[in-house]
Amino acid sequence: MKNFFTKYSNQINGYIFILPAFLIIGIFGIFPVFFGMYMSVHKWKVFKGRFLGFENYQKILGDISSFCLFILGLLILIFSYWFWSEYKNKFKNKFYVFLLSLVFLIISLILINYSWSIMMSTGDEDFLNSLIYIFYYSFFAITTEVGLGLLIAYALYQKLKGKQLFQMILLLPYITPAVMGGAVFFLIFGKAENSILNEFIGLFGYDPQMWLFDKRKLSEILFGIKIDGFFAGPSLALTTSIFYGVWSYTGYYAIILLAGLSIIPSDLYEAAKAEGASRWQTFTKITVPLLMPIIFFLLLTGFINSFQAFNHILVMKTSSAGETMDVVTIEIFDHFWDRVKFGYAAAEGVVLFIILNVLAISQYVIFRKRLNYD
Amino acid sequence: MIKFSHKELIIPYFILFVILLLSIYPLLYMISTSLMTAGEASNQYMFPKKLMFENYLEVWNSNNFQKYTFNSIIISVVIVTGVLCTSIPAAYAFAKIDFPFRNIIFYGLLISLMIPEIISLLPHLLIIRGDIFPLPFGPSWMNSLKGLTIPFFGNVFLIFLLRQYFKKIPNELWDAARMDGASHFLFLRKVVIPMSMPIIVTISLFAFILAWNSFAWPLLILTKEDWFPVTVSIYSFIREAGTNYNLLMAASLISIFPVLLLYFFTQRLFLESISNFGIKQ
Repeated sequence: MKNFFTKYSNQINGYIFILPAFLIIGIFGIFPVFFGMYMSVHKWKVFKGRFLGFENYQKILGDISSFCLFILGLLILIFSYWFWSEYKNKFKNKFYVFLLSLVFLIISLILINYSWSIMMSTGDEDFLNSLIYIFYYSFFAITTEVGLGLLIAYALYQKLKGKQLFQMILLLPYITPAVMGGAVFFLIFGKAENSILNEFIGLFGYDPQMWLFDKRKLSEILFGIKIDGFFAGPSLALTTSIFYGVWSYTGYYAIILLAGLSIIPSDLYEAAKAEGASRWQTFTKITVPLLMPIIFFLLLTGFINSFQAFNHILVMKTSSAGETMDVVTIEIFDHFWDRVKFGYAAAEGVVLFIILNVLAISQYVIFRKRLNYD
Repeated sequence: MIKFSHKELIIPYFILFVILLLSIYPLLYMISTSLMTAGEASNQYMFPKKLMFENYLEVWNSNNFQKYTFNSIIISVVIVTGVLCTSIPAAYAFAKIDFPFRNIIFYGLLISLMIPEIISLLPHLLIIRGDIFPLPFGPSWMNSLKGLTIPFFGNVFLIFLLRQYFKKIPNELWDAARMDGASHFLFLRKVVIPMSMPIIVTISLFAFILAWNSFAWPLLILTKEDWFPVTVSIYSFIREAGTNYNLLMAASLISIFPVLLLYFFTQRLFLESISNFGIKQ
């Protein structure tokens, strides 16, 4: 018996060591997805009801086959990128490769547009709109965050005094809990006409805005054109929540990009300086291209992560902003918390999960050569 | 490092100054509003005429605020302890012990990073209510510390970070320890943990901040106020009509304070681990 324990000591110890973490992650981390799928095919209001099959999905997406078409469109979109990056250096004539991937791109966009309009006309409009809103949120938030972060990182990279202090302050918003941060934003971006922000924009001759209480679209406010659909842009209220995202994450990305900057060999800069390059030229010609892999990676992972933005949006949500702030997480939460439609909410969750996984595939495709977990 | 002349440094300093001002302004505004009278706060003055430090006392003594703060502290400390107890051995096993299916299990667990929190919330709720399978301690974990903390005891991301660190510890150390008859457990306790204090402190901070910020989950499972953490109480404070903003800001400030305090003590480690993590990606 003793022999047995010494012989298999590694195995026994290994399994015992991982057991607690394995149990808890298994039950609370992985099991919920499968259970969510199980719930989504049942009528479920607080307690389990009868089996529904895909009825919930039909209500949400209108037509499941058009959702499959939509996913196919996304996959072709990723494929067109893959095709371009894989073959652009293998053939002498780049033009045909370019043309072919352009064709794929156009096909995918047509597919996406076509299937989306079918879904919009037959499915749950609120849910589909919430997907558009989270797209706005993620897209605008992550591009601003990484762009500003790059600027800050570059500024911090110069020999500045007090770099440590700057870095510390930069991360403060990231540390601030979303509920408390949301509370301040709720005040600063309130509807009071004499609020500091409104007086500040008044200095530049703008009218006071209602910010979080305003459901008008940006296109209407900025350009005065009233359009519907995707190109109308986010509402002012949603834009304010994007400001919050930018406020809280820019410092975080700046720190990561700063770390990335420090691995660029400094003789490149010396050489550029010897050639008489200006600061802006060194930034655009050396820094940005060499950082491109990291920038791209941060954009993509950040985009996927922003899809899950929840806490601060729930805090800053106002009733007069209407449904324009109901991003997908809020929509799901609303369905099972306020309206107690568990099965329906679970089905919405599964749809979100599928979309996130397609995005993750694109991440894998783009970074497959660099992906390394060890 | 690039050396440019002093004149050229003006632009970076200017950019940094503006951005820093913007990033710290909401916090400064929180402080300044928390010191105003109710009238000044609702008229959104820039600065208070007279500093009302009484606001803090008023908040502290009102509406069970002390209880909520202590709730938050208890919840966070329990979660940090739990996470460390499960993550350290698991990360050690994944990094250093060779056993069958090790990598398959590890990558399997990594999948849970892909799952959005909002999807898990609903099944979590049913698990905690005891609807899916009987729970070990009591029929339901609603309105209890168990329900608030145990679901967060396992965190793959933290295991991942720890594993990276443990992997760097040379295998020769373990060989030497085994020669002296040490078990894995003893080696972990006497050698690996003392060597890894920096990453363990960082991870505890990460876990603490996550736990302190947790909001949707307590909102879901708490129907009574006994275990309300500060986040939930501030949320309900915001939702009330005719809230005194000066008190709201004072309450927010008090409840951010523990996180800020921890951050100030560990910021160097925290910065380092974020930078390293960024490059690893």
